[in-house]
Amino acid sequence: MELELPLLWITLLAPIAVAAASPALGERASYLALAAALLLPAAILTPYALEGQLSEGVIDPVRADFTRVGIGNVMLAVDGFSYPFVIGVSIVTALVSVYSYKYMSIRLEEMREKGEDVPGHIAYLALYSIFAVSMLGMAYSTNFLLFFIFLEISLIASFLLIAFYGYGDRRRIALLYFVWTHIAGALTLLGGLYYVVNTGSFDSAVVSEGRLVYVSEAVRGTLATLAGASLLVGLLIKMAVFGVHMWLPYAHAEAPTPISALLSPNLIGLGGYGLVRFAVAFYPSLMESIQPLLVGLSFATILYGGLVALTQLDFKRFLAYSSISQMGYMLLGISALNPLGFTAASLIFLGHAIGKAVLFMVAGVFIAEQHGLRNIARMGGLAKIYPLMAATAVIGFLHLAGIPPAFGFWGELYLTISVLESPGYSGSLSLALLSMLLIASFTVTAAYSFITTRRIFFAKPRSDIDGGEVVDDFKMSVTLLAVLGIFMFLTAGLAISGVVESSQAMFLAYLS
Amino acid sequence: MAEAVVIQMPLLPWSLVWMAPYIAAVVIAVGWLLGVKREEFYGWISVAGILVSAILSAYLAKLVLVDGSVVHIGADSVWIPPLGVGWGSYIDGLAAVMSLVVSWISLLIAVYSIKYMEGDFGYGRYFFMISFFVGSMMLLVVADNLILMFVGWEGTGIASYALIGHWYTDEEKYWVGRPGRRVLGTPMFFEPSHSAVRAILFTRVGDVGFLIGIAALYLTAGTLSIPELSSTAGVWIAELASQGVLPLLLLVFTLGALAKSAQVPFHEWLVTAMTGPTPVSALIHAATMVKAGVYFVLRFTPIIVAGALAAGSPAIIEGVGTYFSIIAWLAVITALALSLMALVSDELKLILAFSTGSQLGYMMLGAAAGGALGVLAAGGLEAAGEGVAAGLGHLVSHAVFKAALFLAAGWIIHVAHSRFIDSMGNYAKVMKLTAAAFWIAGLSLAGLPPLSGFFTKELVIDLAYKASPIIGGLAALTALITAAYTTRMILRVFHLPPYEERAKEEPHEAPALMLVPYTILAAAALLLGLWYTGLLDTLSRAAGLSLSLEPVELKFKISSLTMSIVAGVALSMLAVSGAYIAAKIDFRKMLAESSLARVLHGFLYDRMYLNPLIYIVFVGGGSALAAIMLELDLTIDFLYHSGLVGVGVAAAVLARKIYRGRTDYIIALYLVSFAFTLLAALAILEEKFGFISRIIG
Repeated sequence: MELELPLLWITLLAPIAVAAASPALGERASYLALAAALLLPAAILTPYALEGQLSEGVIDPVRADFTRVGIGNVMLAVDGFSYPFVIGVSIVTALVSVYSYKYMSIRLEEMREKGEDVPGHIAYLALYSIFAVSMLGMAYSTNFLLFFIFLEISLIASFLLIAFYGYGDRRRIALLYFVWTHIAGALTLLGGLYYVVNTGSFDSAVVSEGRLVYVSEAVRGTLATLAGASLLVGLLIKMAVFGVHMWLPYAHAEAPTPISALLSPNLIGLGGYGLVRFAVAFYPSLMESIQPLLVGLSFATILYGGLVALTQLDFKRFLAYSSISQMGYMLLGISALNPLGFTAASLIFLGHAIGKAVLFMVAGVFIAEQHGLRNIARMGGLAKIYPLMAATAVIGFLHLAGIPPAFGFWGELYLTISVLESPGYSGSLSLALLSMLLIASFTVTAAYSFITTRRIFFAKPRSDIDGGEVVDDFKMSVTLLAVLGIFMFLTAGLAISGVVESSQAMFLAYLS
Repeated sequence: MAEAVVIQMPLLPWSLVWMAPYIAAVVIAVGWLLGVKREEFYGWISVAGILVSAILSAYLAKLVLVDGSVVHIGADSVWIPPLGVGWGSYIDGLAAVMSLVVSWISLLIAVYSIKYMEGDFGYGRYFFMISFFVGSMMLLVVADNLILMFVGWEGTGIASYALIGHWYTDEEKYWVGRPGRRVLGTPMFFEPSHSAVRAILFTRVGDVGFLIGIAALYLTAGTLSIPELSSTAGVWIAELASQGVLPLLLLVFTLGALAKSAQVPFHEWLVTAMTGPTPVSALIHAATMVKAGVYFVLRFTPIIVAGALAAGSPAIIEGVGTYFSIIAWLAVITALALSLMALVSDELKLILAFSTGSQLGYMMLGAAAGGALGVLAAGGLEAAGEGVAAGLGHLVSHAVFKAALFLAAGWIIHVAHSRFIDSMGNYAKVMKLTAAAFWIAGLSLAGLPPLSGFFTKELVIDLAYKASPIIGGLAALTALITAAYTTRMILRVFHLPPYEERAKEEPHEAPALMLVPYTILAAAALLLGLWYTGLLDTLSRAAGLSLSLEPVELKFKISSLTMSIVAGVALSMLAVSGAYIAAKIDFRKMLAESSLARVLHGFLYDRMYLNPLIYIVFVGGGSALAAIMLELDLTIDFLYHSGLVGVGVAAAVLARKIYRGRTDYIIALYLVSFAFTLLAALAILEEKFGFISRIIG
């Protein structure tokens, strides 16, 4: 259904407006106002979810038809499939904004003490709001060009945030991040351009009688395969799956922690969004023909990321590898190439968005309050000093491991169903193989979660820890996010209905 | 339950039967966040939540077991529409008995904990987790669909993880195993935080199997509602068979239950779970957690049997028969192996833990033997019903006597200031009531008439014998070993002098808040046995009112098998007593002198080396694999960020050499390459759109 007011555009402009007004608002008020502005998408869209209207699409009235010049419809829309993405970005960016105030105050002070010339809160707020909005924009896009533009904006904003406020060799790492994601962007664009040259439109969905209708035209031939592969590889680099993941541990570990909390779950997960919306829509036959390869790549990514995570001693680098592993799960859902698999990918995004953001924020609490403590070998026993953060981190891990009552469970459930539903499953042999792979995957995830929890929070402290836990809005923002994840687990029904319906509609339009 | 009336009840307030402990947990969490300092607040809120649950389950059990109806609460509630699941509870005979046992025993344990945990630094956290634990267990028992059941199932996993690791600061007094003992390089002592990780990872393996089963059932049966799965069992069993996955899928589905109920080789997590506070052990062993797996098997055995009979083809019958045989064998191996380990263990709680694993084997065996008889020996639903009644019966008696044993052990360990029985002894003189309670509960464990353990164990062994004389024989042998280790444990703790110097503080009887719960439980073990006709009658009613089952009549007849087992048990107890008291055999000297005895003892003491094996294969293998992956990662990193960059730098150097800064070269090359690119572009456009021909012609 079409909205009466351009609410989706407003949700993109409001955070920017808040950032622009930040010199007048004052620092603390700016961060809180930005959080409020970033919550708008969740507030606006949730009533439609409750009414069960998501599957017809919530469409912004301000849109333009550029089909004649080969661009298609420039419009913003949300359907059942993208709703979890929007909610994830909205809630995480909002709570991380609250969290950023104390974190960045400490970070800026620390950098200035070292005599570094660094842009202050206002620049941070501006870049942060642009970054957050560009991710929302990606989740609102059904048009490839629009998606790509938002993607590029998000890369520039996050590049600058890493370069200005990051850790370690931050300029080199920011450049490394930029080059990698740019190669990914170029490949993605190439694949999209070939499609538009042949079909005259970037659209994966159009509006018909007030409803969102998914469209896909077949492009065939050798060149089409190459172009499709280019689009696919570009997005896989974005998701950081095994083999092209190498930029992620650097970027996500050394970004300022609030930005890690956005990069790691949100931005890379939107690569998965792009895969379903564009790679599957534009080049379905390619996806079908390489399905076994994609499934293999998914399991490889899950196990590889999980196992390497176990060897990491830096808390943030550990989380970065865990993100790679989680992207394997998302890709596994997508490569099932059935509606329930798309559903799984969307739900995994949300579970991971909450869980991983929570864990990065917990890591940031120790960095901010314990003089940059991020080496797991020097932690241990932190539960006694930080009981609230310990409980919060465990909930974060439950989201990753897909254990109820964390929202991550829904992703895990639908993933398992979709894997069993995908073709090739018949007979005891394939059941045995799939069961073993699934057991290995989920167990590796649980293993690194609980083993790391033990290393960080249990036994005796392995270094001097200052003071105790003061519960302030810095930490409450983390706990609130974790608890919201439980609340969402309990109330997931209508959202899941929307995801399933939209995924089915997309499947029918793209793949059958 | 063909003729039973299904009573529909609204979601609220009746769902409080599982929600109340959860609500208590939320109240406790909020209280903690608000900074409530008083311990009593946490303890009594938790008890209150469980009490509500207990009262409601008593009422519901009356509706089922006395009035003979089945209760469906909130049948029309909606949670996840695409999966067709709601928040409903379904209380048939099986769920009625289970919820009754779970809630009332948990209540006693919670009351006991108020005193036991006094002054503990994690008092609030403890009661939060206890409430969450009981709520989860109640949920998985009453859930009317597999998703809700799985949520409760995983809830018990998280709660046990937190409670086993309750003393996460890992002081040595909370460990399990002899500090420093290693086998094949693997430590055989476990800190609380280590045991917690073990518990959640061991069970996680099985839980994924459970999840795969749920997914497969959703795809083949199209429903996750347990009553609907029961009524359509014939269809989906046939469907699974046609996909060629029949016995395997059932096994994968049951993997969760095997892991949860600590069947070999998953028993490893259970024995080291003893690092938790003793009431937690009581809770895990008697009422929650490990009983979940048995409940699962009791729940699905009749459904699977009914499905196989309805589907009817010989291949299906055979496949299902194989499934039940595998479960039965695993169960009897568990029962026997763990009873042998209990024989040599020197930690009081550890003996009880081995004993639990062994008894869980009996419960599984009862159900599996019933299932096997049901399909293979044409015993039909009646045999399955007897299996369920036997398994459930032993679950009930075990819950009662094991809770009593653990709660009493908690007090004994407290006064001994040690978990090792070597430092305990002669306690019968100073704590008569505790000794009496321990004896009664212990005799029930040993299976001596007229205690309840005797009757229910006989039912299991009888069925097992009918299904397979070998399995039945092994089960009977286990009974004799059970009697032996029980006697050894009680004699060493209560009647013989301690091996080691006793702590200076003189032991005394437990305070009332702790003593009363376990005396009640011991009395219950006795009364249940004296009232055995009523017990058997209730069990048959419960089985008859359960999903997929027809009314059964449980007959207890004293056969020659029964007679010989009772005689064996009595002899075994006498032999052990004789060896210790009359012959005064010094087993420690025997160990020191005989190398054969040492090998045998070591084999059992180190749990048949299964733990080192698991660690070498999975933990060692996993670490090795992770190290290889890390090397690979570093290589990939080098290739991209040094190799590729190096190639780029080399190319630049080379290019510079070609041009050497001469403008004429550069311009010439630029023009040539530009012209080439242009021509290529035109050629592509011509090829695709006939661009040039269109302009020209």
